[in-house]
Amino acid sequence: MTQLETEISALKSELISMWILVQSQFNKAKEAMVQFDKDLAREVLVKEKRVNSFELKIDRDCENILALHCPVAIDLRFLLAALKINTNLERIGDIAAGIAMYVIESPVNFDLKALEKSQVLRMYEEAVNILMDTRTAFEKEDTILARSIFKRDDVLDKINIEAPEYIAAIIREDIENINESLYILSIIRKLERVGDQSMNIAEEIIFYVEAKILKHQESLNKE
Amino acid sequence: MENTIVKAENYNGYFGDNHVVKDVNISINKNEVIAVMGPSGCGKTTFLRGINRMHELIPGATSKGKILLDGENVYDMNAIYVRYKIGMVFQRPNPFPNLSIYENVVAGYMLNGLKVSKADKDVIVERSLTSAALWKEVKDSLHKKGTFLSGGQQQRLCIARAIAMQPELILFDEPTSALDPISTSSVEALFHELKANYTLIIVTHNMQQAARVSDRTAFFYMGELVEFDDTKQMFTNPADQRTQNYITGRFS
Amino acid sequence: MEPRIGIRNFKSVLFKSVIIFFAFVITIPLIIVLLYIIKQGITQVNWHFLTHVPAPVGEAGGGIINALVGSFIMVGVAAIIAIPVGMMAGIYLSENPRTKLAYYSGLCVDILQGVPSIVVGIVAYFWVVKPLGTFSALSGSMALAIMMLPIVIRSTEQTLNLLPDSLKEAALSLGVPYHRVIIKVIVPCGFAGILSGITLSIARVIGETAPLLFTALGNSYLSVSLTKPMESLPHLIFTYATSPYDDWHNLAWGASFILLMFVLILNIVTKLLTRKWKIQL
Repeated sequence: MTQLETEISALKSELISMWILVQSQFNKAKEAMVQFDKDLAREVLVKEKRVNSFELKIDRDCENILALHCPVAIDLRFLLAALKINTNLERIGDIAAGIAMYVIESPVNFDLKALEKSQVLRMYEEAVNILMDTRTAFEKEDTILARSIFKRDDVLDKINIEAPEYIAAIIREDIENINESLYILSIIRKLERVGDQSMNIAEEIIFYVEAKILKHQESLNKE
Repeated sequence: MENTIVKAENYNGYFGDNHVVKDVNISINKNEVIAVMGPSGCGKTTFLRGINRMHELIPGATSKGKILLDGENVYDMNAIYVRYKIGMVFQRPNPFPNLSIYENVVAGYMLNGLKVSKADKDVIVERSLTSAALWKEVKDSLHKKGTFLSGGQQQRLCIARAIAMQPELILFDEPTSALDPISTSSVEALFHELKANYTLIIVTHNMQQAARVSDRTAFFYMGELVEFDDTKQMFTNPADQRTQNYITGRFS
Repeated sequence: MEPRIGIRNFKSVLFKSVIIFFAFVITIPLIIVLLYIIKQGITQVNWHFLTHVPAPVGEAGGGIINALVGSFIMVGVAAIIAIPVGMMAGIYLSENPRTKLAYYSGLCVDILQGVPSIVVGIVAYFWVVKPLGTFSALSGSMALAIMMLPIVIRSTEQTLNLLPDSLKEAALSLGVPYHRVIIKVIVPCGFAGILSGITLSIARVIGETAPLLFTALGNSYLSVSLTKPMESLPHLIFTYATSPYDDWHNLAWGASFILLMFVLILNIVTKLLTRKWKIQL
């Protein structure tokens, strides 16, 4: 292995470590939301610093590899993709921390029935799976799996669009629910963004493996 | 301080009245790979040759200042001994054409009249050629003349010849300029392996090579040492504007 | 346009033909001489011819062993004198081309090369024959050595100049002291060129007569003493060819043939040496 191959391989491992951390943050935030566990939520906030330092390190490593080795072709595409995936993962980490923050701030427990009615649970499950699959697609350079992400994001989008209706229904049932409902709505908005971030990541994976650019295309055309 | 192997103190090099290397102060540690880069005529080769006192062999060439090898000034030592202790590899591969591959590797001993037993010589040849990543390719033709090898192989033979003397420090004067890209990468891969046992100083006019292979890089310009820093730092954010101009290609 | 091109082509072909013609013409004298001498001389050569001294006038038979041995010894001694001196001088000139000494000694070498061989003979006469009080093979060798020197010096110098500097640098960078660099690296690498200079100089002097006229003189008997006169092939040819006796003429033809063969072989060997080793360099 040349020096360049070694460094790119190390960078891949770093990204995957960051990915695993972000996934764990995301899952923990979900648990904290369902169990309304403020301690678990606080853990997420503490670990957020680690996510940020991962982002800084990966940025720096990419800069160094670009400066020292002037890579071309797939190596260059990989580094450009890695820079963007890095940013997207950090944002997902932020979202997990944001959700954990809601759990800590909320004066009332989240009612399980409300969680189900608003479909936020279903949305979260799907988001967790999407996040896992983007990682698998990256590790295995599986562009078919990456492409499947686009359709599944549609599910998240649909729930997001329907959300105001369901939330309004929950509030009409009992005006006391309003605080909790507003938090749930915010979580739904955040989860929709996770879907978007994951789509970006999938686009970057396809870019680096196939050199195809799928950004800014209508979702129907994404083949 | 313990770790310093070469230290230049106010070193100046001249060709007659021409002041080619101006007041260089630099400190190099053991087991480092140092790249010395700069445009043509910036004094980098003159400086390199000042370290093992090859510079003064040119008629009219003089120098001032000190260069300390393990604490001792090479200009106070016997010049021939200094050259014996420091290995050098040149731009054009130069194996001795009248000697076989085997004899070329141990040439440093044979030409100096040092008595070495056949068994020891065999060990030295195998060890040096292995360190130079050439053993497998030539082990069945050790008694053929060195000039039958390709350019990259000849250069690795010259590296083996230098290594055979067990120097602490090896100087490389644009070692891959005369080689094709594939031979160049094999020699560059070698630098990484040699680092474990030797200190390498490599003069190169190819700044990408400097970026790829070295731990620290020295940038020379018009005879002065402009900047000497970690390679990563030098190529992502150099401190001096002249360095930045050079590596971004703003001037040759 | 057409006719001009036609004339140009014709002139071009004419020019080429003229060159080729003259190239052939040049070989004619050499071929004639070779063939004639071979024809005249080869019949004389036999074992008796090579192992006996010339017969006295009137007797048939006889040989040229005194001249063979004489040439061999005198050229050999000349070589022993000229080769070391010539090589050292050549090495100096190659290593220090820009000094005053190099300039003036180089000048002297070139002048020496142009000195007529008979003048060299006279010089040797005054230097060696007069003090020793006798004609001798030694004085003959000295004269021949003086003639060999410029060739050995110049060819050594030129051979060493052809060697790339990188060779010396490689040896010096290994910590090899200067004298060893010269003796163990430079000279061995240039060996073929130096050797060719030596064979060339031998080929040159083996046929020289003038310098031997008043130094080694000649000797009808086989002698191996350096302090006595000695016969040599060219001198024998001169003496016997200009004599009025047919028997002696035959000896001269035979000797000419032998001498010619030596010179031819030496020249061919020189050519082979330079060609073979230049490839390696």
